Amino acid sequence: MKRFLVLTKAMFLIHLRNRATLFWNLAFPIFVLVIYSQVFGQNTVGNTDYMSWAAPGMMVYNMLSFGLLSSGTIMIQMREKGILQRLQASPMPAAQLVGSYLLVNVAIGCLQGALILGFSALAFQMPLTATGILRAVPMMLIGIVTFVALGQVISGVSPTVGAAMIIGQVINFGQMFITDMVMPIDMMPDGIQKVAPYLPAYAVAQLVRPPLAVGTYSPDLWPNLLIAGLYAVVAGAAAAKLFRWAPRG
Amino acid sequence: MNEPIIQIDHVSATYGRGKRLVHALCQVSLEIHSGEIFGLLGPNGAGKTTLLSCVQGLHSPKSGRVLIDGIDVADHPTAAKQHLGIQLQQTALLDDLTVSELIEVYAALYDVHLTASQVAALVESFDLTEQRRRLARRLSGGQKQRLALALAVANDPQIVLLDEPTAALDPRARRNMWEIVRQLHQEGRTVVITTHAMEEAETLCGRVAIIDSGHICACDTPARLIADLDAHPVLKTSLDLPVQEVQTLPGVHGTRYSGQYLEIETSQPQVTLAALTQLATDLGRALGDFMLRQPNLEDVFLGLTGKELNA
Repeated sequence: MKRFLVLTKAMFLIHLRNRATLFWNLAFPIFVLVIYSQVFGQNTVGNTDYMSWAAPGMMVYNMLSFGLLSSGTIMIQMREKGILQRLQASPMPAAQLVGSYLLVNVAIGCLQGALILGFSALAFQMPLTATGILRAVPMMLIGIVTFVALGQVISGVSPTVGAAMIIGQVINFGQMFITDMVMPIDMMPDGIQKVAPYLPAYAVAQLVRPPLAVGTYSPDLWPNLLIAGLYAVVAGAAAAKLFRWAPRG
Repeated sequence: MNEPIIQIDHVSATYGRGKRLVHALCQVSLEIHSGEIFGLLGPNGAGKTTLLSCVQGLHSPKSGRVLIDGIDVADHPTAAKQHLGIQLQQTALLDDLTVSELIEVYAALYDVHLTASQVAALVESFDLTEQRRRLARRLSGGQKQRLALALAVANDPQIVLLDEPTAALDPRARRNMWEIVRQLHQEGRTVVITTHAMEEAETLCGRVAIIDSGHICACDTPARLIADLDAHPVLKTSLDLPVQEVQTLPGVHGTRYSGQYLEIETSQPQVTLAALTQLATDLGRALGDFMLRQPNLEDVFLGLTGKELNA
């Protein structure tokens, strides 16, 4: 157990000392929220003001980009530098490494979420309830795990950090505007409205937003849980299969 | 002699498949005894790192077995790895951790939990006290190599495996590393080093295995390997002389070019030198540099394989 804690602490420090992680995952989302408030802040989505609607979506988008981009590329960097191989040469079980990495990713995802919600409550008077936050937390955890698993699939198939960034950005930006995170889905063309509900970012947005925006789960809780869960399980299995300690060749 | 602490028994290893299949090791057998500094000497691509990877449990041999202190690496990898301290060929450091943090983490990988004073003592013994709070990415090349060695012994292992520990170091830093390796040996550890530097193998190692193209060509103390070669001293000169004429000089047993130098194997160095000087004078050539050296492991390698060690 102590070994696991020491490794987890080290992984956490590595992520927090990585300036790119700090900027893109902690500072940048706040900046985007401010921009969105200036552009769309006077609008409403249904009975909810836009920022109270968009802030949870921004949280989900941030979790998505962290999982697809930061989490996957850090793993590839560790592989390219020979760090994973050095870990493999130690008697530490692989499950502890994976568990530690996942725990750190979850912690950072929660930290991101807390920052965005806290800023939104202060800057945009987003109404939050303790019940709503407690209901949202397990949904956030499902979302983080799902997106990190997808990111690890990318790290498994990508030979380099550059390749992983390209693949991750395509998937990331591909879902950014069409999955009801920061733009209401009914603004999208019919074709996208039919496909989007089967994408992981859409499912997680429907899981996280209702508890934070209105304090209760959506009536579509179980279908969206199933979709997100399926992505997490399939991506997790694929990531485990594709995992390499050393670069190919 | 002590019982072997590492036993490598008819190990063969391959990479790739089909047309890309590479036979990296062919029926390699070695015994490494407790408390010795053992060298694996060979050129790049000889199989040194592959052999070390098989010992470390990073690469599964196609056949054969590796025992570490009697433990089969294939059957009980976790128990085997517990005995090892490792420095890989690529100095792999978590750049965003400090020196002290890295030592704590690498020890913890082996379930060894160092106190702050133990970390400080280890840092001091590798002359990294001033850098103990510095992030790994801010260390110089020599400091990173010293840190990599410190991490290799953070878990207080019986056996330390070092893959090209002095690669890319300047001569002074290389000698400092040799001192550290000697210190590890004096602490009673078994040290296995891979190197393609003949001087390093001769200076540090009690025994050396010469490896080429996945085969062990010879294994013994450097002195016995050189003695068995039955070679003669070598006169090295930058003189530009016709090789056919040099070969007819008294005492000369053979000639070859090594870079810009002509190396002349001679059983009578003084006689051959005098004759060389006379030949140069007769041909109107300016006298260049002369060096006399005794046979070394590079000659052993050349004699065994027909190739230069650092070709």
